[in-house]
Amino acid sequence: MSDPVTGKPIARPAASAALRYGLAFASVAVALGLARMFLHFHLPQTFIALALSAIGITFWYGGSRAGLLAALLASIVRIYFFEPELNVMSRGLYYLVFLIFALLMSWVTRARDELEVRVAERTAELTRANEELKLEIAERKQAEYLIRQVFETSPDGIAILGPDYRFQRINPAYEHDWEIPAETIVGMYAADLLGLEMFEKVKSNLERCFAGEHLSYADWFTNSLGRRRYRAITYSPLRPVAGRVQAVLLIARDFTEHMLASEALRQTQSDLAHVNRVSTMGELTASLAHEVNQPIAAAITDANTCLRWLTRDPPDIDEAREAASRAVKDATRAAEIISRVRLLFKKGTPQRELVDVNEVIREMIVLLRSETSRYSVSVFSDLAADLPQVMGDRVQLQQVLMNLMINGVDAMKGLDTKRELTIRSKRIKNEELMVSVSDTGVGLPPQQADQIFNAFFTTKSHGTGMGLRISRSIVESHGGRLWATDNPPRGASFHLSLSTKAETHE
Amino acid sequence: MGIQSKTKLVAIVDDDDLMRGALQGLLKAVGLPARAFASAEEFLSSGQYRETACLIADIRMPGMSGLELQAKLNAEHCRIPTIFITAHGDTKMRMQALRAGAVEFMAKPFDDEVLLESVRAALES
Repeated sequence: MSDPVTGKPIARPAASAALRYGLAFASVAVALGLARMFLHFHLPQTFIALALSAIGITFWYGGSRAGLLAALLASIVRIYFFEPELNVMSRGLYYLVFLIFALLMSWVTRARDELEVRVAERTAELTRANEELKLEIAERKQAEYLIRQVFETSPDGIAILGPDYRFQRINPAYEHDWEIPAETIVGMYAADLLGLEMFEKVKSNLERCFAGEHLSYADWFTNSLGRRRYRAITYSPLRPVAGRVQAVLLIARDFTEHMLASEALRQTQSDLAHVNRVSTMGELTASLAHEVNQPIAAAITDANTCLRWLTRDPPDIDEAREAASRAVKDATRAAEIISRVRLLFKKGTPQRELVDVNEVIREMIVLLRSETSRYSVSVFSDLAADLPQVMGDRVQLQQVLMNLMINGVDAMKGLDTKRELTIRSKRIKNEELMVSVSDTGVGLPPQQADQIFNAFFTTKSHGTGMGLRISRSIVESHGGRLWATDNPPRGASFHLSLSTKAETHE
Repeated sequence: MGIQSKTKLVAIVDDDDLMRGALQGLLKAVGLPARAFASAEEFLSSGQYRETACLIADIRMPGMSGLELQAKLNAEHCRIPTIFITAHGDTKMRMQALRAGAVEFMAKPFDDEVLLESVRAALES
């Protein structure tokens, strides 16, 4: 038997057979010697006790076989050296005593051996368990260290909120976010830190989280010093033991810089779009003037006609009224055009509202009518009746359409062939619509179909190369796409898709 | 009343509905029979150009322009006295129109007295 861990023998040491059996001889010899010595001092009958001791010692240290040998030797020694004349009955009894003692010792020895083995096994087990425990403690310490490092050094604010909406623990980033020391925040009621208004918004989220939901949202928060920060917050339920949620883990990531950057980008984009609108409108001055002039001319004529009916003898009031109401209609048209143009000139932050795309198309057709008729372009429209509204900036969508329509007119200007501009709108998927502007002009530059959307790419002598680039970024900021295809047999088509889902795209 | 007995028609060709309405109203006020058409193509296909004694036309229109209409009528030997009204007419265009037989070339907004005089002159010619 050997230790599974160390490989060392753990039962009775395997002393050599010679030593063990030698012990039998030696111990019996010592017993004999001592007994004879005691006999010399007139102490009879000591051999039996000494022999039993010898047998016992041999069993203990030499094992069962050596013990049995000692018992045998002791019997022989007893017969030959002490009272050899004893009768058979007495001899038998002596043998029996030795035998019983030997058996007893044999049993004791075995029990001891078994006990030793068990103790050794138990010791080995304990050692192993101890090692495992040490390892586990080391691992735990490592894990705890990591968790603490994450908690302490995380750039995200981390807080643990109890079911009473009080802070149980916060990390340095959270402390830094609010610019209030951790000792103050821990134990604080959430509403006292967030402010009642923000707490009202947050409360339902916390309630849901305590009900077991994992959720996240983003919003602007104002800290104790009045600094506004944009944060993405996640709430995770904490259940240290299975069952009820005992606390909420709150992780707040600061996206203020991202938000400010994207807002600045949006503003730049909007400024650029405005510049594009103004310069495009500048190019259209002659056409726009005509577009306003037309209803004014009609109004003057109608007003004069009205005067003619009134100065008759007798005056024809009915006809005069009709002419006057025509004049009102004319003047209203002129005013409408001017207000539309002014809207396009206006510089403002992009708005998000529900926009009827068909209406935008119809308005643009009206606004560009002079421009199209100036170059003898026939405009056709094919608008889907069931078009859903889109969420977007009305002026910017008008601008995209204006850019595309003017591009179409420009592409047909120098051609002697039929000039047709067709604007179509249709639903393409459940939550998407598509507007196409097709012309019968020069078509897309070969092998450069997508380059036309690059900034400063232009095939026109007076073009800035910004129109399509800006149009595309406007469409993309509305969550849509803008692309170009050939329009067989001649010309190009520009298509824009827009999502009709009622959501804003950041 | 002498003019009306000839039942000579004044045709108006303009793509702008307000302008068409205004011209028709003006001619009605002075008792001249008029018909309005939204495009040169519509006028030609109506077949009424044969009875037309005077044509008032816009120059810039989607599809066939006023000058193209005039050329087309000339090619068919149908010389109708034509008055052009346009918002953005240049000298070159004016010369082209007059050379092709236009009786008047007016800019918008126009003087209705001048227009009516031209119409009457055209009807009496």
